[in-house]
Amino acid sequence: MSDIVLNIRNVRKSFTGVQVLHGLNFDLKKGEVLGLIGENGAGKSTLMNIIGGVLPMDSGSMELAGEPYAPRSPLVATEMGIAFIHQELNLFTNLTVAENLFIDCFPKNRVGAIDRKKMRRLSEVCMDRFSLPVTPDTKVRSLPTGIRQMVEISKGLMKNARIMIFDEPTTSLSRREKEDLFKTIDDLKDKGISIIYISHILEDVFRLCDRITVLRDGRIIETKATTEFSESELIKCMVGREMTQVFPSIEKEIQDTVLLDAKNIRCADKVKGVSLSLKAGEIVGLYGLMGAGRTDLAKVLFGVQPMDEGEVTLHSRKHSHLNPEVCIKQDVAFITEDRHHEGLLMTKSIDENLSLVKMSRLSNRIGVVDVKEKEKHNLKAIKDLKIKVSDYRHQLANSLSGGNQQKVVFGKWVMNDPKIFILDEPTRGVDVGAKFEIYSIIIDLAKSGSAVLFISSEIEELIGTCDRILVMKDGRVTGDIPKSEYDREKILQLALLGK
Amino acid sequence: MQSNKRRHGSEYLSLLTRYGIYVVFVLLLIAFSLVNSRFLTIANILLILQQASPLGIAVVGMVFVLLVVGIDISVGRSMFFISTLVGYLVTTTHLIPEAYFADARGLCLVLGIVLTLGCAVGYINGVLVTRFCILPFIVTLATGSILRGLGLKLSGSASINVSVLGGLSNGRLGPVPYVLIIFILVLIVFDYVLRHTAYGRHLLAIGDSPGNAERTGIKVNRNIIIAYMVCGGLGALGGILSAGQIGSVAAGFGEGNEFIVISAAVLGGTSLFGGKGNIIPGAIIGILLITTIMNGLAMMNASPFLYTIVRGVIIFFAIALDSMQHKGELR
Repeated sequence: MSDIVLNIRNVRKSFTGVQVLHGLNFDLKKGEVLGLIGENGAGKSTLMNIIGGVLPMDSGSMELAGEPYAPRSPLVATEMGIAFIHQELNLFTNLTVAENLFIDCFPKNRVGAIDRKKMRRLSEVCMDRFSLPVTPDTKVRSLPTGIRQMVEISKGLMKNARIMIFDEPTTSLSRREKEDLFKTIDDLKDKGISIIYISHILEDVFRLCDRITVLRDGRIIETKATTEFSESELIKCMVGREMTQVFPSIEKEIQDTVLLDAKNIRCADKVKGVSLSLKAGEIVGLYGLMGAGRTDLAKVLFGVQPMDEGEVTLHSRKHSHLNPEVCIKQDVAFITEDRHHEGLLMTKSIDENLSLVKMSRLSNRIGVVDVKEKEKHNLKAIKDLKIKVSDYRHQLANSLSGGNQQKVVFGKWVMNDPKIFILDEPTRGVDVGAKFEIYSIIIDLAKSGSAVLFISSEIEELIGTCDRILVMKDGRVTGDIPKSEYDREKILQLALLGK
Repeated sequence: MQSNKRRHGSEYLSLLTRYGIYVVFVLLLIAFSLVNSRFLTIANILLILQQASPLGIAVVGMVFVLLVVGIDISVGRSMFFISTLVGYLVTTTHLIPEAYFADARGLCLVLGIVLTLGCAVGYINGVLVTRFCILPFIVTLATGSILRGLGLKLSGSASINVSVLGGLSNGRLGPVPYVLIIFILVLIVFDYVLRHTAYGRHLLAIGDSPGNAERTGIKVNRNIIIAYMVCGGLGALGGILSAGQIGSVAAGFGEGNEFIVISAAVLGGTSLFGGKGNIIPGAIIGILLITTIMNGLAMMNASPFLYTIVRGVIIFFAIALDSMQHKGELR
């Protein structure tokens, strides 16, 4: 157990003059799971990209099983036995499982064409290890994410990977798939494969890892055995400041006016008769496991998905058909879970992103935008939400960190002064410090009289911020828990078993 | 219930794209044969196959380029330039003596020149697309314009005689046209390349996700350049065979062929969004459908001006079906 597979000494890296890694020393033992955590921008990805051969290091040295190691490309790294399982899987959905496994090393016959029989046989051997419920000729397109991930892991194993790097592997997995993945990781560990596990989900890190390394601002702050870490200590290491209280406490009042009242909403087989109401100043949490229908419900409430049955009352006006335009006019704001595709125009400036929703209200009768007014509102949003930008007029949205991107998304809606907020996983892919700021924003919104529906997969953040929590399972609300009865186990039980 | 209906809608859509073309093809055959009794005769069917083959060869090349989210709209003008050049060498300057065509020397020389030049044009297109990162549409629009200009300069916009090629383009082995044999060989070879070689699978992978392909160690740029070379080479081959069928290269030769070729590929199920496409049966049914319509219209003595209108409508439907499946996803 004690022999060291990967040894990193004094690795430095800078981008255009900005030092990102300040001489890291780091080692990985054979057959261990090492958790790598840190806020976004701490240098985790840069370090992994150096190990994975995506980026060259400026100075320092690496040793792989005692041999000097300096991969020139991801391909070299793969050949040297390093498998990098990215957040976005490296699979081709239009090819079969077998083709994906052998994409860069097809077994060939005498005329140089692909030997399909051999490829099928080899894939079966490879897939048997995980007892994957797929045949080699299945198109990857038709597989669920969890199985795709197993295919990707098999690909790494086929290359005799010694080290596997997992970058946020559970973000798009259901609970079941996540359990399967953890089992697989344990198996890999038993086979003597070393694993670097990057995640924001502390629960998983504690459960899975033997040791945890905390990275902050391009330096390693602490490396200790998991058992020697406590959750609060870890968070302290990550943010580098005392965080006695993870959730902001802001006094606010729930009013009696019901702003949104939904009755018996049905949508295909995803939402099966859900009723809920939001009062002014109230933050209602919505918890549920993957596939419980939370996002579908959110999309129905914002009119993105048509409802088959049911009725939504917005500001005491009844609607049986909704569309986003009506919702925006009725002061509803929707913050999507898919920030990259639905929330932001990544290649546009922050300025443009901020004024997107407000645009129609900022323009006069013939559609000309009042630039001064726009500027005023944009600057106010940047200041109010503490968005860290250097030049909001020219800086592109994709240059911001996850947390700041999310703040821009909030900003574009807040400018419109909406009264009802539907937030779908607003803290996904956001680092600890920025999460805190987003909670503050949410509570401030409620304080100013807005109603908030806060959808999340993290029980803790719902408990920390919400006035009551609704639990969904299989398209139905299985629980409505008031603040006084918050209990993690109970919430999870409702989500898992529905009772 | 609304969304149920919608899901059925998308199922119909995918059924329509997969089998719709065969239904349309059969309906057309029935319609034309009802209008004209000579339409569904063996002689006319062989004629349709003979007419379809040259451009069919070009369709095969186009599938390769479309697979990697490319497009080659220079193919028609490349056909014009290369055929004009051949005519120039053979007829105008006699640099290739007519005596060579008494045996196989002449044809071999011509085909060698055609394939080399075609691949060279494809190479240039490919390099401009990959290394200079210019949109394929713009690259091939520009090279096409250059090639057309070069061709017109060579011919002085006069028609050039290439009747020496008639033996190959219009000749038959028994009842079977030579061009059909060449088309079938091209189909078999390139379908095999696409389905059963690492190169073919890599093209699909690149079309699905160029970034992933790069990370997997697939030589993305090189593979794309080769795809353009295949397209250029097969396009030039199809062009010279087509010129041989006509017997001369007029100033308007090749114009609009790129649209026939692209729409035939798309009709056959190749996506303009990359990563999806096939040669057998796609390229065959695509070009056959278009040629059959042209042939049927000719037999009905329809106005030649009607052809371009019909062609435009076909392209519109084919591409609309493709795009609807991708729901406006832009690349």
